[in-house]
Amino acid sequence: MNKALIVAKWEFIEKVKSKAFVISLFLTPLLIIFFSVAPTLLMQSENDETLVIGILDFTNEYFEQVRNDLESIKLSNGTPAYLVQSLKVEGLSKDSLLIQADSKVLSKKIEGYLFIDKSESDSLIVNFRSKSVVNFKLLSVLEKSVNDIFLINQLTKENLDVRVLSFIKNKIEINPIKIKKLGEEGESEFLTTFFSSMIFILLLMMIIIYSGQMLVRSLLEEKSNRLIEILVSSCTSNQLLVGKILGLGFLGLAQIFVWILFGIAAVGSAIVSISTFENLPIILFYFLLGYLFYTSLFVGIGSIVSTEQEAQQITSYLSIILVLPIIFLLSAMQNPDSAIVNVLTYIPFTLPSIMIMKANLLEIPITEHLIAIAIMFVSTAVVVYLSGKIFRIGILSYGKMPTLKELKSWLKE
Amino acid sequence: MLEVKNLSKYFGSIKAVNELSFRVNRGEIFGLLGPNGAGKSTTIKSILNIIKPNDGEIFFDNHPIDEKFLNNIGYLPEERGLYKKSKVIDVILYFASLKGLNSNEVISRANFWLEKLHITDLKNRKIEELSKGNQQKIQFISAVIHNPDLLILDEPFSGFDPINQQEIKNFILDFLDNGKCIILSTHQMDTAEKLCSEILLLNNGRSVLQGTLQEIKKKFGGNHIRVNFDGDENILSSFTEVISYEVYSNLIDIHLTDNISPSDFLKKLIQRVSVNHFSIIEPTLEKIFIDTIKNEKSK
Repeated sequence: MNKALIVAKWEFIEKVKSKAFVISLFLTPLLIIFFSVAPTLLMQSENDETLVIGILDFTNEYFEQVRNDLESIKLSNGTPAYLVQSLKVEGLSKDSLLIQADSKVLSKKIEGYLFIDKSESDSLIVNFRSKSVVNFKLLSVLEKSVNDIFLINQLTKENLDVRVLSFIKNKIEINPIKIKKLGEEGESEFLTTFFSSMIFILLLMMIIIYSGQMLVRSLLEEKSNRLIEILVSSCTSNQLLVGKILGLGFLGLAQIFVWILFGIAAVGSAIVSISTFENLPIILFYFLLGYLFYTSLFVGIGSIVSTEQEAQQITSYLSIILVLPIIFLLSAMQNPDSAIVNVLTYIPFTLPSIMIMKANLLEIPITEHLIAIAIMFVSTAVVVYLSGKIFRIGILSYGKMPTLKELKSWLKE
Repeated sequence: MLEVKNLSKYFGSIKAVNELSFRVNRGEIFGLLGPNGAGKSTTIKSILNIIKPNDGEIFFDNHPIDEKFLNNIGYLPEERGLYKKSKVIDVILYFASLKGLNSNEVISRANFWLEKLHITDLKNRKIEELSKGNQQKIQFISAVIHNPDLLILDEPFSGFDPINQQEIKNFILDFLDNGKCIILSTHQMDTAEKLCSEILLLNNGRSVLQGTLQEIKKKFGGNHIRVNFDGDENILSSFTEVISYEVYSNLIDIHLTDNISPSDFLKKLIQRVSVNHFSIIEPTLEKIFIDTIKNEKSK
């Protein structure tokens, strides 16, 4: 067997067996699913308590309707979500009624109350007074209810048919359709696209940063206990370099594979929409190109460190470069043909992320794919070549990190 | 036979190794000695093809050392370390496969060596669970498992207790019997003295002393003998071959001129007195080392 493959096999098997890898393998997708789903779930999760809501309606036009609307909402166990009571008491002045209502809120007898009154100029004043910031869901129900009654009242006042209301309320939504090829089209929704691109790009970055750190750390271990000397007295430094890149490449593939299984499970349980995986082959391809590019970079630069601090410094610098495209992501999504996006499409550092995003947004012409692939291949080859030069000397030098001048002379050697 | 010809390696303006030449015959342990920073490691790394010398050639059995020859070299670096989290057997198999052994071959050889060093029961343990001495044994196995023709040992005994040192020493001698070349780099002069047939003393990248142990001792030591005899020691003054002598409580150290061998002098001496003790005094390698390096420094 080729020695590079022996190194690759070792790197792969030893890292796959490590606890840190196994943990991250399962933890990362769980975290991503959690963070993408949790907010929605939390918003949807209803309070299973019935809330008491008061209404102080001095116009006498809204109470009945609003109460009906609110009390028709049921909790998951079938009990009504809201109990509505009128706070009006005959014989009391407006001011004392308000004081009484406010004290009910403060003593938690009611969650809050809807205050409706007419101003002197006959415009409507509607407030919801409560102790804490009002529940978003309740507010939207109240708004809808009050608005409906308001509109009906206006229509009646102007002697118009109340049925006009249904026309007014019928909104027309524009359905975005993505034209893929002539005769082939697909639905496209900004948010889904954004999130699915985002998830893939984040995954790419996490895998790269994680395995980059792992690579630098293992190089550091081999350097500090001189294992590297045994290795390079058994194979050439290029075989070692290629072996390490390949080993980590397989490691990345294994992670992606497991994560796709997670993804399929997530689709199966309808947490993630199937459209997220529509462009999977293209995305995976760019994912791999980016992974190889950055891993080669990490190997070269990682070989010059000889302490844990230096390793951390270097990996965090590289990680910042890696995460840079996120800044442009939102604007790029809004206008995937803008000049800045076009420039980033040709820079190997940002190309993979941008192409993953673009693949989700629009149909990329085959020529653009070919150019992008050519750029990645050439730049990865250049990085491997340069890394090889640095690696050969870097792995055998201890003590202080080389200066730029020294690095230059290494590259020339 | 390993042959190093005019090896030079510079790091910037520093000449780490300067026109070094030597040969190591099969069946011979070659001692590469010298103070820290003398250029031993650079020489070893050049032989291992790890670093490229600026000048010079290295041959083994008349073939230049190249990538292919790496499978035929065993190397035990001075600073030891193994993959701590990995299993003993996995580490041995990894290094062996990097030396070009196929896996069936490796397993039987690994078992052979583990048994020979009495650590078979540690086979499936993690390296970090092993004692330092046992870790060193694993490293030693990794260096010799592919039965290399050239074995380079950098401080092979450091970290071993006397019993293990003896075990490893026997091993090295066993290995030598198969006609291998061994380069031993060490600061333990007594070990070098016992094991090496040829010595090279490096200082500042240059060879300052080189040859068989006997040659070096002879060259360095002059003609010294130690005797004990019945009778008056003043008799020694009458021998023209005696340059000087020192009398201790029951021994006399004598410095002879170079034109008489110790045995010839003994013959002359027994004709005059009754000799109870006679020995040739050799300077220890340690003394030679220290004196030579001091001498170099004062130059």
